Amino acid sequence: MLSKNLAAMAVEELAPLIEKKELSPVELTEEILNQAEATEGKINAYMEVYREDAIEDAKKVEEEIVNGNYRGMYHGIPMGIKDNIYFKDKVTTMSSKIHKDFVSDYDATVIKKLRNAGVIFTGKVSMHEYAWGITNNNPHYGAVKNPWNLEKIPGGSSGGSGAAVAVGSSVASLGTDTAGSIRIPSSANGIVGLKQTFGRVSKYGVYPLAWSLDHVGPMTKTVKDAAGLLQIIAGFDPNDPTTVYVPVDDYIGKVTGDVKNLVIGIEEDYYFREVDSEIEKLVRAGIQKLVDQGAKVQTVKIPTLKYAEWAELVTSLSEASAIHHSDMLTRPNDFGHDIRMLFELGELPSAVDYLQAQQVRRQLKHDFRKAFEQVDILAMPTLPILPNDIGDDFADLNGKKVDLIDNIIRFMGPGNLTGLPALSVPCGFSQGLPVGLQFMGPAFGEAAILNAGYAFEQTNPLENKKPDLLFKA
Amino acid sequence: MSLTIKELLENKGIKPREEHLEVLDRRWKAMAQLRGDLDGVNIDDADIALRNIPGGDHVE
Repeated sequence: MLSKNLAAMAVEELAPLIEKKELSPVELTEEILNQAEATEGKINAYMEVYREDAIEDAKKVEEEIVNGNYRGMYHGIPMGIKDNIYFKDKVTTMSSKIHKDFVSDYDATVIKKLRNAGVIFTGKVSMHEYAWGITNNNPHYGAVKNPWNLEKIPGGSSGGSGAAVAVGSSVASLGTDTAGSIRIPSSANGIVGLKQTFGRVSKYGVYPLAWSLDHVGPMTKTVKDAAGLLQIIAGFDPNDPTTVYVPVDDYIGKVTGDVKNLVIGIEEDYYFREVDSEIEKLVRAGIQKLVDQGAKVQTVKIPTLKYAEWAELVTSLSEASAIHHSDMLTRPNDFGHDIRMLFELGELPSAVDYLQAQQVRRQLKHDFRKAFEQVDILAMPTLPILPNDIGDDFADLNGKKVDLIDNIIRFMGPGNLTGLPALSVPCGFSQGLPVGLQFMGPAFGEAAILNAGYAFEQTNPLENKKPDLLFKA
Repeated sequence: MSLTIKELLENKGIKPREEHLEVLDRRWKAMAQLRGDLDGVNIDDADIALRNIPGGDHVE
């Protein structure tokens, strides 16, 4: 097996080798840890690497598999996890100064589920401070860099997860998404990211950014890897009152790649307005590839989208500022400059603003439900712009200088406001940087968007290209 | 009486950094523009979505 670059392989490739005992989990874990060591100086994806614990766990897992107790696709797979998800007796910092020594006395539900599935934890990966930003330019722990171009942001807030998966220092990862924090770094790093339906995956033991918008979800190399990871973490959790009793689908079984007669909705007024022209071309070409496989396209209208940005901002800013209000009164200087300003901004909306934003949200859900009466899924760009230079607050949009945050979250918020599932899959390159194609589905329609993503992935949109650092670290 | 952003924050015990005030003012005005008049949302008839659970709102 050593002739292969294990760090470049997806879970769907590694798992059969582990199951057949052709690949040792210890060997794989060492390879991933070595890749982390080799790339950290350039990428800075990890907050902390658990080298000794990971090797010990890998030995136990290997013994289980040798003894015939193989537990499934993620048994023996090494993963780094975003640093706002609690591990029992380990430091979870939220990549902040204030929580730098915080130790949870329990595992998050998703961590418990991954442990039961036999995942080996290689450490905690970096994030934008308190998940409140999209650059991962962290004032306390340094900037995470994009493996495709070290001068560019990896996106955020799950930028450490995105960069680590792209560079092979984590085989897969978990991110959190309040305004695109799974999908943004997935698009920017050329990997797959799934924000599943609100209530599908427990948030118990995950530090909140904005309670009513937060999601936890997979960030992986392939769509099947995402389906497999969702299969493990999905389900009702009595510890999280926002989870719901809806049967967990057979995600892997339903990822067949058959999109014949699938009806893809296109909403032109919001999702294709003010989009980088190269990104638009790639996304439209991507949709055409599904049409070539038998899918159909239909345009839809979602009028309330024009107020989605406002509703997302008022809701996320208000909820985040409520969470951090006490620290803003007593120790504001311990926050990074950028998020402190967002916490200040979040103190400004009134209760009436917040409630009107929830009314908009209700109407938005209604509009999306109407759209899904006509189509099976929706397709749009993940981001309207390319990742910008680290440290630059502005981005280029067809030659125009535009605000980075406002633009990068523009196509994200509706998924969080409605709670509907959304998947980002790589669909090509522009200026050497990956571009994402986003699919949204009806509530609990993860299988449909995963299947569309898989069908598209089979067209090899990245032409087998990987970051150079994956091979030359 | 119209309060400045600085006064609004100080009334809540928040001491904004001086260099943030101009950006806060710009962002707050941009948010007001995004809101507009909520024309077409039928807000008078709209319930709220505080219970943001798709199982409650979508599965019928």
